[in-house]
Formats: sequence, C-alpha cells, structure tokens
Amino acid sequence: MRRFSATILTIALLTVAGCSGGSPGSSADAGAPVSGGSLTWAVETEPITFNPHLYSQAKARLLVWNSFEALLTHDDKGGYLPWLASGYDVSQDGRTYTFTLRPGVTFSDGTKFDAAAVKTNIDQLLVPNYAPNVAAVQLKNLDRVEVKDDSTVVFQLTKPDVLILDFLSSPQGAQVSPKSLKEAKNLKAGGTELAGTGPFVLDRYTPGQEVHFAKNPAYNWAPANAGHSGPAYLDGITYRFLKESSVRVGALTSGQVQIIEGVPATDESLISANPDLSLVRGLNSGSTYSYYFNTAHAPFDDVLVRQAFREALDVPAVLNGVYRNTATRAWSVIGPTSPFYDKSLEGSYGGDAGKANQLLDQAGWSAKDAEGFRTKDGKRLTVRLVQSAPYIRDRRDVLAQAVQAAVKQSAGIDVQIQLVDQGTATKALADGEYELFDNSRADTDAGAALNLLLYSTGSINRTGYKSPELDKLLDAAIATTDQANRAETYKQVQKLVVADQALVQPLYAPQDQIAASKSVGGTGFEPTAGVPVDAYNLWLSK
Amino acid sequence: MITAVLRRVGAGVLVLWAAASAAYLALLAAPGSTVDAIIGDGADTPGIRAQIIDEWHLDRPALVQYLDFLWRAAHGDLGRSYLLQRPVSAVIGSQLVPTLKLAVAAAVFGLVLALVFAIFARRLTSVIGLVLVSTPPFLIGIVLLSVFSFTLGWFPVSGDRSFAALVLPAITMGLPIAGTLAQVLREGLDRALEEPFAVTARARGLRERAVLTRHALKHALLPAVTMLSWSFGVLIGGTVIIEQVFGRPGLGQVTVQAVNSSDLPVVLAVVILAAAVFVVINTVTDLAYLLIDPRLRRS
Repeated sequence: MRRFSATILTIALLTVAGCSGGSPGSSADAGAPVSGGSLTWAVETEPITFNPHLYSQAKARLLVWNSFEALLTHDDKGGYLPWLASGYDVSQDGRTYTFTLRPGVTFSDGTKFDAAAVKTNIDQLLVPNYAPNVAAVQLKNLDRVEVKDDSTVVFQLTKPDVLILDFLSSPQGAQVSPKSLKEAKNLKAGGTELAGTGPFVLDRYTPGQEVHFAKNPAYNWAPANAGHSGPAYLDGITYRFLKESSVRVGALTSGQVQIIEGVPATDESLISANPDLSLVRGLNSGSTYSYYFNTAHAPFDDVLVRQAFREALDVPAVLNGVYRNTATRAWSVIGPTSPFYDKSLEGSYGGDAGKANQLLDQAGWSAKDAEGFRTKDGKRLTVRLVQSAPYIRDRRDVLAQAVQAAVKQSAGIDVQIQLVDQGTATKALADGEYELFDNSRADTDAGAALNLLLYSTGSINRTGYKSPELDKLLDAAIATTDQANRAETYKQVQKLVVADQALVQPLYAPQDQIAASKSVGGTGFEPTAGVPVDAYNLWLSK
Repeated sequence: MITAVLRRVGAGVLVLWAAASAAYLALLAAPGSTVDAIIGDGADTPGIRAQIIDEWHLDRPALVQYLDFLWRAAHGDLGRSYLLQRPVSAVIGSQLVPTLKLAVAAAVFGLVLALVFAIFARRLTSVIGLVLVSTPPFLIGIVLLSVFSFTLGWFPVSGDRSFAALVLPAITMGLPIAGTLAQVLREGLDRALEEPFAVTARARGLRERAVLTRHALKHALLPAVTMLSWSFGVLIGGTVIIEQVFGRPGLGQVTVQAVNSSDLPVVLAVVILAAAVFVVINTVTDLAYLLIDPRLRRS
C-alpha cells in the first residue's frame, strides 16, 4: 500500500521529499545472454519519419539502428570501427576517402549491398528537395562518389573534412536498399517499405501507438563493439509511444513494459525503490545545453557583461533546484564525454556574485532602479530569452525561470523569458530581438555542432560573433584525422569561446535514462552518442 | 421534402467551407512562415529554404495557394503533410477510427452514468457533478491508471488494441460529461415534477419512481440531448490529453503536432473533418428532437 500511495503522490505532481541517484547498473541480474522472447520498450518520442536519411530527432536514434546500418560506427574513444565498411583509407591531402566494403551483406529485401548501393544512397541524398539539411551541411564538401569495383567506393572531397567519417557513421549516412529507395511510395516517411541491412526488420507500425521490429535471422555482420555476433537475441521488439513520463514509469512498475527511456528526476525514486528494476544514465555527445550571448548589440556586446552574467549565476544551485542531483553541470560548449572536451575549464569561472556586481559596475551598469534591477543611462539591464514551446524538453522552461530568479537576486539582471510558437521564435531570432539563445546539439562529433553554432557563417550562429581566428581554428580541426591534433585545436577553440570571449553560459550536459526490469540484459548507451542502445544486444532472461 | 434536404446539405457545405477558410486565414496570420515551421530548430541556410519553398510550391501568392487548396479539397485531395511526408488522407484515416471509438464510448458511458445519477441519486447530483466537472481529465486519467492499471493490473495502460484498453480512457472522458449531463437532467426533472401532469400522475396512484421515469424523464431529455451533442463535438477535440496520457493513437495528437509545426494541410483536414462531424451531429440531434417530443413532429 505504501508504494501505491507514493505512486499517486508523485504522479499527482506533488513534491516527493528525498532524492535518489541511479547507480550505473549492470546486466548481471539477467544472467548469461539467451536467445528468444520479445520485449516491449516504452519510448517518449514517436519519430516523425522512419527514413534514416531524414533523421533529425536524437530520441529516434535507438530505433534507426535496428533496421539500418552505416559504413562505420563510433568506438568509445572518439575513433571509428568498421561496420558495413571493413576498412577505410585517407589520402595524404585529406580529400580522398577510400572505403572497402564488407562482403556478403544483403538488405532485408534480398538485394545485395555493394559499392553501387553506397553511391545510390549518396546520390539520393543529393536529389533536390529530398534531404536539404544533409546536402547543405554534412555533404557540403563532397565533390563526387566513385565506384571503383564491387567492394570499393571512393569519396572525393572539395576540401579536407574529417566530419565525412562522422556522417558515414550517422543515421543520415545509413545504407538503404536502392531497390526500396526507388519503389517506396512514401519514401520520405519511411516505414515498412524501406529495407536496410540491420539485425531487425520494421514489420508493423501503428501511428500514435507503437512500432514493431522482427528479428532478421540472416544477420551476421555486427560491428566489433556490438556485444556479440550473429543474429539478435530477441525474436522481436515493440516500441510503444508513451509521451507522459509518469505513465511510462507506471507501465514499467506494473510489468506492462520491460524497459523504458526518459525517467525524469521526480520519478527516479519509484524506480530505485523497486528491487526488480534498475536505472542507468548516460551523457549525450555533442554540444552542451547552453545559453549563447547575442554579441550583436547591448548589453552583451560588452564582454564584461557576459562575464558578469556567468558570475551572477550559481549553476549548481539552479540545476539542483530543477533536476535534484541528477543533472551534470557543463563547463564548456563541448560535452564532458567528448574526447575534445577541455577539462581545465572546470571551476575556472562562475558563481561569484560579488565579482558579478563588480564587473557590472565596471561596465557602467552601476545604478539600480526601484525594483532592484541594474540600469545604465536610465535603461534597465534586460535580456530576452526566446524559447520555442514545441522544442522544450528536459523542463528547460522551468530551468529558465530558475535562472531568471537567480540572476535577479544576485546581480539585478532582468531576464525576460518568452515561451512562444516556432514561427514567433524564428522571427525573433531573424530580427535579432533576443539577447540569449538556448541550444544543445546531439551530434556525435562535437565539431559538427561547433561548425553550426560558432563558425562565422554557421547556420545557427546566434552569438553574432564573427572572427577569422575562430573560423581558422574550426577549419583546422576538421582538416586532419589525427585525434590528438584535433583535440589540441578544439582546446584553443574552447579557450577562445568559453574563457576569453565568454560567448556562452554552459548549463548542463544532456543525458538519457534507461529504466528496465532486471530480467532484461544488454541495456546501455551507444558509445560516443550516449543515447540508449538499439535492440541488437538486448536479451530477456528466462 | 427534397428542398429541405437540399437546404440542409447546402448549409453543411457552407459550414465546411467557412471552417476551412477561417482555419486557413488563422494559420496565414500566425507569426513566421511555413518555411520557418518546416525548418524547426535545425540548420537554416538560404539553400535549405529554397529547396523547401520549391518542394511545397510556397512561392505562389497566398490567394493562389488557397484556391488551389479549395479546388483539390473539392476533388477529395487533401494534399501531403509537410511534417510527416505522407498523404493527409493516410495520416488522418489511420487515426479517425480510434478517436471515434473513444468519443462514442465516452458519450455512451457519460449518458448512462448521468441517467443513473439523475434517477437514483438526484439529491447528490449537484455535488457529484461539480466534482466531476471541475477535476481536470488529466488528473482523472492518471489516478484511474495508477489504481486500475499500475496497481490492480485490470486494464492495459496504452494503445488501441482491445476493448479493455478502451475502458479507462472512455471513463476518463465520460466522467466530466456525466457531471454536466446529470446537472442538466436533474434540473429538467425537478421542473417536470412540479408540472400539473406530475400531480395528475401521482393522483392516479403512480409511485414516485414511475412518475420520474415514465413522465418527467422525457421532458428532461430534450435539453440533455442538446447538451450531449454539444459535448460530443468537444469530445472529438478533447481527446488530446487522453491520448497523451494513455498512449492511444488518435486525431488529437495529430492535430496538436500539426498546429505546433504549422502543418497546414493536416490542420485544414482536421478542421474540415471536425466541421463535418458537427454538421452530422446537429442533424442527428434535430431528428432526435422529433423522436422525443411529439409536439415538434406536428409543427
């Protein structure tokens, strides 16, 4: 009965006292892997498309890899492992990438995977109106793709771009059967019509309810870090779309589903209190959730004010207020799990209200109005944060309110939060009617995110900061495949952007949570990406 | 007779056109362009914009797009969803049946419960009605789920798979309707019981319950039917929260997603569909009046 009332309490959105931390779980409880059985996994997000080329939702990544695969995959150290390609070779000038393909791979529609298929996929991505984002971003430096022989394909670039490897390990670079690309009636929606090479085949989709994958018994080409080889353990897996987090948790605790993703801090106690369930958290790759300062006009055109904002904000306090102790504080624009993360930034700034006030005095914002906000020449120190309601996740709207209260109290900064529809948000951003821009990106190679956010011509550069020096560093960082060299360059980027120019207020590293019954083995997070794994290595103990 | 039918159909078509045009204007007046909505929070370059404009022919004047839409809608072609990349008829078609099932089940449950309250617990209806009407459906749904699904395990939490999966959502939606209907019924009954015919019936030696069910109820039903037809329309729109809580497929989710992303073709199709449902229900209600009240038949 106690558990029952606790459920009601939490679910009725009342505060539950006490915190609980999920310990990094293991699959030990599920015993040795066994084949057979099927699982139901409740997920938060229903993908808007099942066509991997048009993938745009990090929350849909765990579905993609069930039925589709890429040429390479990420290891856990920022490098790449062979997948559908058995190896690759980069020319001295960094402009020619030659891939050798794995023999004996077939798509689930029976057609053969070969060099011509790879070329067809790239050609398809470049078809006008098909995948404009991929063509304009990931493939912008691609000159042409050549089929050398059945199992050799060559990518010629117009300039060195190591991110092509990241692309060829990403869902957008996944290989779809050329036959199904040609025959699919709803190509851009994907679904049962599109065939891939993956360990499962999507065989049933009920919009608004669930999607089902059945085992591909012929599968035998898993990458080295997949956990096992040969076909998947499970005969089938159903992903049920349950948007409401408390309903997902309830479905798990009552045994209606065996595994869920997306467990908010408020519901964690229900999982950890149950001995039959386990909870694991994984940090995502890419850029951290951060506020970017608009340097195009006052007040953030002044570096002192940008620094003052960061000193005024006690990040751990606001994170604890909103997420309990479950969030990981971010110190840089790059996430802490990335090999390019500069750890030396930790503790180097922030959370000193005295310093914030001193910096604001120095910048001329020394007077205070009747409401306690700082002013300069009779103008209040107001900064606007425009958030697009459809894209709010992780309670970022609540976090914004906590930030608003914190900087008001500590330094008299007036944060105005505008929670609006997408059209209004886009308009505000286009017209420069904002001082703070919030964003996180889940790119597997953090460099891809930085190119969009920081490059002077980046398509989501909202800081207005344009510097040839920064562009040069970002170019240099993708011109080489040498990991140490890239890390060194990105260290300079972070020094410039985070330490010297204070262009950004990093807040937290986005994470995913998986809660599962202890009878489920093989759960965890995809290396590098940090999102929940696909179903290949999952098993159900008998 | 034929002119009456024709007038009815004509009025229905007019309502559909007006609803679709109003929705079109509203979306046109909303801030930001369709291109903004399609781009969302992703990468945004002139090249990407040009391709989107080209793909959906967004470079035509708004009036031309509107006329083109009307012309194709008149021929049964509702276009393709910007967001979901599928024909609108497929998007809506797959979601229509679960929504209708839920709405009908909720309406039936609401009506039955209201009758039970009004007849057997007339004195309590005010209080019960007030509680039911003022409790948010979201909370009712969550509480029902945690008791009957999570704890007792009687009903599955989600989907549109079996009758059992329909029970909790239908109760969640039906309860507020029952609350409102019961209030309306009770008021009607109270008034009818004070009428001279009630006194006559009692004088004939009928027991109070028989007076209530055989005579007063018919009088009380008329406003209740009006109320029910109105709430059936609300039901169609009100499925959003229920679908979200119970993980049910349905039109509500599709509509919210479409409005949020300015997915014009889907929004327009939903509006037209909703208007059609209202037209049908109003016609059915008018017919029901004739059944219930003989005086209306004569005039």
